Amino acid sequence: MTSLVNPELLSHGTLECNDIPATRRFLNEFLGIDVIRPLPEAQYLSKGGPWTVVCVCVEGEHKEQGPQNRFKLAVSSAGEVDAAHAAAEQQKDKYGIRRVEAVEEQNGIRSFRLQDMNKVWWEIANLTQTYYDDAFARGDYRQ
Amino acid sequence: MNAPAMTQEKPTTSHVKPTALISGTFVTRDLARARKMCESLLGLECVEPEKGVMLIRERGHQPGEKLAGQPYWVLEAREVAEVAVPQEMLNHWGVFVSSQAAVDEAFEKINAQQKEFGLGRVQKPRFRHGSYAFYFVDGDSNWWEIEYRTPELLYTSLRAKGDQVDPYAP
Repeated sequence: MTSLVNPELLSHGTLECNDIPATRRFLNEFLGIDVIRPLPEAQYLSKGGPWTVVCVCVEGEHKEQGPQNRFKLAVSSAGEVDAAHAAAEQQKDKYGIRRVEAVEEQNGIRSFRLQDMNKVWWEIANLTQTYYDDAFARGDYRQ
Repeated sequence: MNAPAMTQEKPTTSHVKPTALISGTFVTRDLARARKMCESLLGLECVEPEKGVMLIRERGHQPGEKLAGQPYWVLEAREVAEVAVPQEMLNHWGVFVSSQAAVDEAFEKINAQQKEFGLGRVQKPRFRHGSYAFYFVDGDSNWWEIEYRTPELLYTSLRAKGDQVDPYAP
């Protein structure tokens, strides 16, 4: 297929924060994401692959994201989803977690969403890459 | 080839024990239009596993292709009646291309076909924070970046260097 752009990698996403140290503690200590700070105004988030989420520190109030714009973290079992949910409820004051939604299960995927201190939404789910491999292998639902 | 290498997994003592930052999500009012942009403009692979949902990844991960078996990042687009939270440039999705010339070429082509793909603004390429890139916004307020970085400035290279600034300094 010929396209206007010939990309090598779907490389990154972005999010905003107000407080780099507090955000780092949440990302690192709570979510378990690897974080580095290459620049005073930015942190790079990663886990499990070459793609990166760039976290940019902005002055003042920034936009509240909706849950339909979120990042998904995979954990290895349904039990780990439940454990993460319990930890979110328990640690929300410490890490400035604004909202923790109920755990749901759909098509064997157990998950819940939380909104962090930066109004960014995260989903924690017992997803694996095999789930996506299978979806791409099956093709469109119409077929 | 500009594609970065994998990084090593680190043991975690965090509350959540993630195996991967595996996906990002966005919304569109017209999944067919979004698919046309992702496939024909951005050169990405798309599939609709169910009505109103589209998964997106870079090409090359099908069995027998060059990236088969490698991990990948997935974008998940969901069709909605209205975009509840319009996005801004600081919330964008990025794709790497192989050279500075490829950025310029992409800009020329995308700018010329702005209406064909229902795009909003297409900004001119510029150097910023070690990258050469431009941004454009699609018909649903989602921002996209077409970016080239020299090998030493790839995100994975910078990640390997670790913190360059005190991580807990304000």
